[in-house]
Amino acid sequence: MSQTVTLARCRPRRRSWPAWTALADALHAEWTKLRTVPGTGWILAALCVLTIGVGAGTDSATRCATGVGCTLDTTRVSLTGILAGQAVVAVLAVLVISGEYSTGMITATFTAMPRRPVVLAAKAIVLTALVLAASVVAVAGSLLAGRLLLATNGLTAAHGFAVVSLARGPTVRAAAGSVLYMALIGLLSLGVATIVRDSAAATGAVLAVLYVAPIAALFLGSNPVWQRRVERYSPVNAGLTIEDTTGLRHLPIGPWGGLAVLAIWAAAALVAAGLQLRLRDA
Amino acid sequence: MEATIEVTGLRKRFGATLALDGMSFTVQPGQVTGFVGPNGAGKTTTMRVILGLDAPDAGRALIDGRPYPKLQRPLSRIGALLDAAALQPGRTGRNHLLWLAHSQGLSGRRVDEVLEQAGLASAARRKAGGYSLGMRQRLGIAAAMLGDPPVLILDEPFNGMDPEGIVWMRGFLRSLAAEGRAVLVSSHLMSELQDTADHLVVAGRGKVIADATVADLIAAASGDRVLLRTSGRTEAMTVLAHAGATVAATGRDTLTISGLPAERVVALLSEAGVPFSEVSAHRASLEEAYMELTRDAVEFRARPAEEAAQ
Amino acid sequence: MSATTISPYRSPQRAENDSFLRLVRAEWTKFRTLRGWVLAVVIAVVLTDVFGLLVVHPHSPCGSGCHLLVPTGPGGEAVNDSFYFVRRPLAGNGSITVRVTALTGKVSASGGGFFGPGQPQNGLSPGVVPWAKAGIIITQSTRQGSAYAAMMVTGGNGVRMQYDYTSDVPGLAGLVSAASPRWLRLVRSGNTITGYDSPDGSHWTEVGVARLAGLSGTVQAGLFAASPLKFTPNFITYSESGGSVSGSLATGVFDHVALAGSGAGGWTGQNIGASGAGYTGPQIGYRQAGGRFTVTGSGDIGPVVSGAANSSYDTVTIGDHLLGVFLGLVILVVIGAMFITVEYRRGLISTTLTASPKRGRMLAAKAVVIGLVTFAAGAAAAALAVIVGIYVSRSGGVYVLPVGWPTEARVILGTAAMLAVTSVLALSIGTILRRSVVTVATVVVGLVLPYILGASGVLPVGAAEWMLRVTPAAAFAIEQSVPQYHQVIGQYGPPDYFPLAPWAGFAVLCAYAVVGLGLAAYLLRRRDA
Repeated sequence: MSQTVTLARCRPRRRSWPAWTALADALHAEWTKLRTVPGTGWILAALCVLTIGVGAGTDSATRCATGVGCTLDTTRVSLTGILAGQAVVAVLAVLVISGEYSTGMITATFTAMPRRPVVLAAKAIVLTALVLAASVVAVAGSLLAGRLLLATNGLTAAHGFAVVSLARGPTVRAAAGSVLYMALIGLLSLGVATIVRDSAAATGAVLAVLYVAPIAALFLGSNPVWQRRVERYSPVNAGLTIEDTTGLRHLPIGPWGGLAVLAIWAAAALVAAGLQLRLRDA
Repeated sequence: MEATIEVTGLRKRFGATLALDGMSFTVQPGQVTGFVGPNGAGKTTTMRVILGLDAPDAGRALIDGRPYPKLQRPLSRIGALLDAAALQPGRTGRNHLLWLAHSQGLSGRRVDEVLEQAGLASAARRKAGGYSLGMRQRLGIAAAMLGDPPVLILDEPFNGMDPEGIVWMRGFLRSLAAEGRAVLVSSHLMSELQDTADHLVVAGRGKVIADATVADLIAAASGDRVLLRTSGRTEAMTVLAHAGATVAATGRDTLTISGLPAERVVALLSEAGVPFSEVSAHRASLEEAYMELTRDAVEFRARPAEEAAQ
Repeated sequence: MSATTISPYRSPQRAENDSFLRLVRAEWTKFRTLRGWVLAVVIAVVLTDVFGLLVVHPHSPCGSGCHLLVPTGPGGEAVNDSFYFVRRPLAGNGSITVRVTALTGKVSASGGGFFGPGQPQNGLSPGVVPWAKAGIIITQSTRQGSAYAAMMVTGGNGVRMQYDYTSDVPGLAGLVSAASPRWLRLVRSGNTITGYDSPDGSHWTEVGVARLAGLSGTVQAGLFAASPLKFTPNFITYSESGGSVSGSLATGVFDHVALAGSGAGGWTGQNIGASGAGYTGPQIGYRQAGGRFTVTGSGDIGPVVSGAANSSYDTVTIGDHLLGVFLGLVILVVIGAMFITVEYRRGLISTTLTASPKRGRMLAAKAVVIGLVTFAAGAAAAALAVIVGIYVSRSGGVYVLPVGWPTEARVILGTAAMLAVTSVLALSIGTILRRSVVTVATVVVGLVLPYILGASGVLPVGAAEWMLRVTPAAAFAIEQSVPQYHQVIGQYGPPDYFPLAPWAGFAVLCAYAVVGLGLAAYLLRRRDA
């Protein structure tokens, strides 16, 4: 008899938690997890340093002889570092999920939070927040470096180049878009890494997605049909059109359209990841 | 002296933690030497230093008078089981041993021999990722036996073994010693070693607290105490205390008496007419001897229950 | 118990000396017994080949199934051989001497594209391209790709002697004009032709000697003019490509024409290679007034280089079929890194180092195994990609710039060696960092990002070349199959051209791997396992 009483007392008050409560708890847990891993701060710092550093290096190397059809997009040159910084975002995204699989902590995570897609959503939100915050710093630093360094190389308004400035509409779009680009790269990487699981393989898969398509576009000069396909529909080539502020008519896909292509890739990867989390054993 | 491990004055610091603080002992052939001590006493670090995995800040560890990295075909001089979980899950148990065998110039036939010896032949071609903890321990033992070495060091080999496995492991260790091998077995549970070890090295806070045969240790811990079971506890205490003994109540009807031999206790109680059902010379368990020794050396100690209740 | 009765255990097994091969064998066993790794290598090979075929796009102007006829020179290389030729036969030995008094030219409007056969010549503006040519030539025949030697004035590179398409020797510097004319002379003796130049017709300087294999009997000698396509390189952004290409004409004015030796007939004008890159408009041709010849021609006599800058042929190089190598490389880097990082993650490194306590040798054994595995896989993948790629390209009507078998072998084996060294680099970085994610990211980004920055036109030429000289990406130079020519203006950039020679670029990667391996061995010995 006494046993029955005990059981009754221990029954949870709520039969099922609403999803938002579960998400809020999961968010808190994931935030604590990421905050207390020693590497996170370093990775975010590396994101900023690498992005601004590669951008500044490109700025200071860029010179343009006046006249001979030099169609230079100062904003895009300043944001060259995004190409490097996106690798750091990918690493962070891989660590967020594969780190748990490699240490076996995923068991503890799914025991504590059995709604796996909610866990994935929480990870995605926390990752996005961190990447957005760091990318704002990285993009702002890159544009500032571009503004200062490109002018010293003679790429000034007097020579017909647009000075990097947030007073210019397209530059504001490129800046905001680049921050979003980084966040979407993070989500795409998170999705791929969740599907692949193993940390090294996931890193390889994500970096292949990020870097092989741009190289393919270079190689495909002899195959314009596929070159155009890669430029329009590969996540990085399409997504990076958000950085262009001049010659928009000649782009294979419009800036926002390009970013939308990346967003579709990221969404598809996350949905696939969520499905396989439900279907596969942890 | 052949086939021994000599550890002399090992010191090792990890950051702020002093892991080894002058650890010194030797391991003799033909014996199972228990290497015991609480968690954090430096047992695993000592073993890693012996195997050349960690470099000591001071002191040295020699096998047959030579440092480990200088050994030719080291696994035929000394076999080791450190971390049974150190496996790649995708590889079968047999293949795990196969690459180890190849590194020592041994053939696949030797692999099958040790698998048989460790009682793992039936699971040898399954992926190691699916092994239970006990099976991994057996695989680790098989790896240690691969080179048929005269010296073995095993770190917590009883971990995760079922009772049958523990019995097997005890017999196996005894038979290794009987063949003349030197066997160093670490454990933090004394009871596991009670009927297995001949010699004990007790470590605490990075150094050796006791280095003696099991028999000596137990004798030292037993003292000359007498155990008494009586229904007249209060009367007995009064009588014996008057005779000059130190008496402690250890249970509802049991007392421990020191300072008087057993015959004297029997005589006094009979004289006073106090009933008793049992008088025996106290023989400490290895566990008690160990607790006695390591009382001050325990790094993480639970607060006793009554203390916690206050 | 009395310990004295027990004698120490002696193993009945015989002792054997330490051998490095034993360690290599152990590491090989370790590698091959993990099905995932073996499978990953196979996948790397398959993806390399499948992805590489994307490059091939059958879209020949004459439709699928036909073969583009590109002339090849005596050395077997593809050549441009189109020019306007005013010729006379020359039987046996002899010489030809002229004075050039002017070289002028016209260029179609910037960005105006080709002007190929039949296109109207609208928007022509005066201008002479740097390698516009007018001079004298002795050639075996009027067939394209014939052996020849020529002396010429150029639009911006002084007097040159060129022969057999790829050889170029400088003569007098400076531009030609009526005030400072140039005298040119070619002397034939058997199959040897010697070129001379002179500023005044009396003081002659030998410029060069050409020995033309197969030059025999009656040859054609005379005046010629040619002007290659004008290429204006752009700053190109990520998703754009190129620079602009426009057609051009050159007109040379000659007098004091003297042909010594036996030959029949008068001067004949002929537009050589009219069906190729040359222009066939009404301005092409020659006029003779007294001793004065005015010759106007278009096209070039020289090697075809890859890219649209130099010819109207749609060409690829054998290295273009190696696009898939980037995908294979990522997979092999992952395996190379995991070969050591997984041991750290699982704690297996303790077992490994217990079995082989000489840590440097253990690392060397791992490097040998991973290097050989990736070399074999890379060689198989690259051979298949190149051989099948060439076949598919050619049968689709795409012209593959021809190379000799030693070059083909070097491209295939060099690619395999590059993959092998890259995986050893990944192993080294993995030993240093002990973390797979950071290792894979470092190596892949270290190889691929400089390649993208150097190749995509993000950086100006100087900085881009620097990138491809000093970073590990220099190694992709091993995939070059056709040489660069300073006398041909082209788009000399990846994937077909690199600032370093093939093996020099490979050596850069090797230097990184050696430094990485050294540091890894040092840290491995120094650190606790």
